[in-house]
Amino acid sequence: MSDDHGDEERAENTRRVGLLTSLLEERGVVSERELDELVEAFVARTGPGQGARIVARAWTDSGFRARLLADANAAVRELGLDMAAGTAPHLRLRVVENTSEVHNLVVCTLCSCYPVAILGPPPTWYKSESYRSRVVRDPRGVLEEFGLELDPALRIRVWDSSAETRYLVVPVRPEGSDDHGEEELAALVSRNALIGTALAGAGAG
Amino acid sequence: MSLPTASALATRFDPGDRVRARVMNPPGHNRLPTYARGRRGVVEEVHGVFALPDEVVRGVARPRHEPVYAVSFESRELWGVDGSERSAVSLDLWESYLEAEPAPTDPVRSSPGGR
Amino acid sequence: MHGFGPVQPEEDEPPFHAVWEGRVYLMAVALMRRGLFTLDELRDAIERMPPAEYLAASYYERWLAAIERLLVEKGTLAEGELDAAVEGQRR
Repeated sequence: MSDDHGDEERAENTRRVGLLTSLLEERGVVSERELDELVEAFVARTGPGQGARIVARAWTDSGFRARLLADANAAVRELGLDMAAGTAPHLRLRVVENTSEVHNLVVCTLCSCYPVAILGPPPTWYKSESYRSRVVRDPRGVLEEFGLELDPALRIRVWDSSAETRYLVVPVRPEGSDDHGEEELAALVSRNALIGTALAGAGAG
Repeated sequence: MSLPTASALATRFDPGDRVRARVMNPPGHNRLPTYARGRRGVVEEVHGVFALPDEVVRGVARPRHEPVYAVSFESRELWGVDGSERSAVSLDLWESYLEAEPAPTDPVRSSPGGR
Repeated sequence: MHGFGPVQPEEDEPPFHAVWEGRVYLMAVALMRRGLFTLDELRDAIERMPPAEYLAASYYERWLAAIERLLVEKGTLAEGELDAAVEGQRR
């Protein structure tokens, strides 16, 4: 995927999107101002920090954790988050927990499905042909490229988001974090940890 | 649209069932990744009922709605000797992408990757 | 396909790398909410891109191309209308 586009491409794309917006505005479909408002609201409301909040709450509140595992769509609404606010309102959220026995990894081999309604857009590497084709074949090899060498005894589960379910990983709570408050715990959870390509811990965020 | 609980659905498969992803080569849009076609897996979960994308994009007036299952495939089943012993891939698959897989009758033959 | 190199993570990526990307994404969301097309149709339109075009395009360029195609197929835009507008502005 060629993402290394320079200023000229940016200008071209900006022009094209601007003209398309004008045409659609003429037809009463959508306006430029509305688009900018939507972008602003979307960026404000979504992001890896929202996923980190979910994890921190699950780590500290066993009732929430149980509700999250049973029905994540409902549970995240307790935190003011909503899967229905995204691209397709009917998408299901499924939370998968890392344990001392299982490590979870998320991918969409067919395109780029991701819990955008909560986490915002996926990182570029997640959408790359490299990640998408290789992580299902060689998850340990891909994790090594992320600097993560897993205990060989751990079982790896790769979740390919091929339908209408979106996956969020709850990483293992770092040792020595017992006395941390929720905010401090959330700071230990990076975007990559929510996908499974990093562990939670110091140096994350 | 999805239904809230699996128990409310009439599903062909239940969690724990052995299935095989169909071998197919549809000309249009389809959500069964090539790497899983013809491969054996185990149903882990029922996600709900959703419109079949293959029909949605063909402009079918009333596209088929089917249960979607999380199906786990062992790495060795998918990649043979190049697969790993302690690794599996879970895919979310529409019911018509799957067929039942009979349990092995020969007790000597090992199940794919164990479960 | 094979021969993909290592995954190359970018540190602290922003949600969008350019304003136009965010507009494309939210345009798709708005159009879907308005019932012009579904997410399935958007994916399908991306899959129907000519391979050379697909590989040369960046992620959001693919989304833009797919949105344009769907708008033409649904009759909201005329074929070539956007190209003509782009050409017109360039001169």
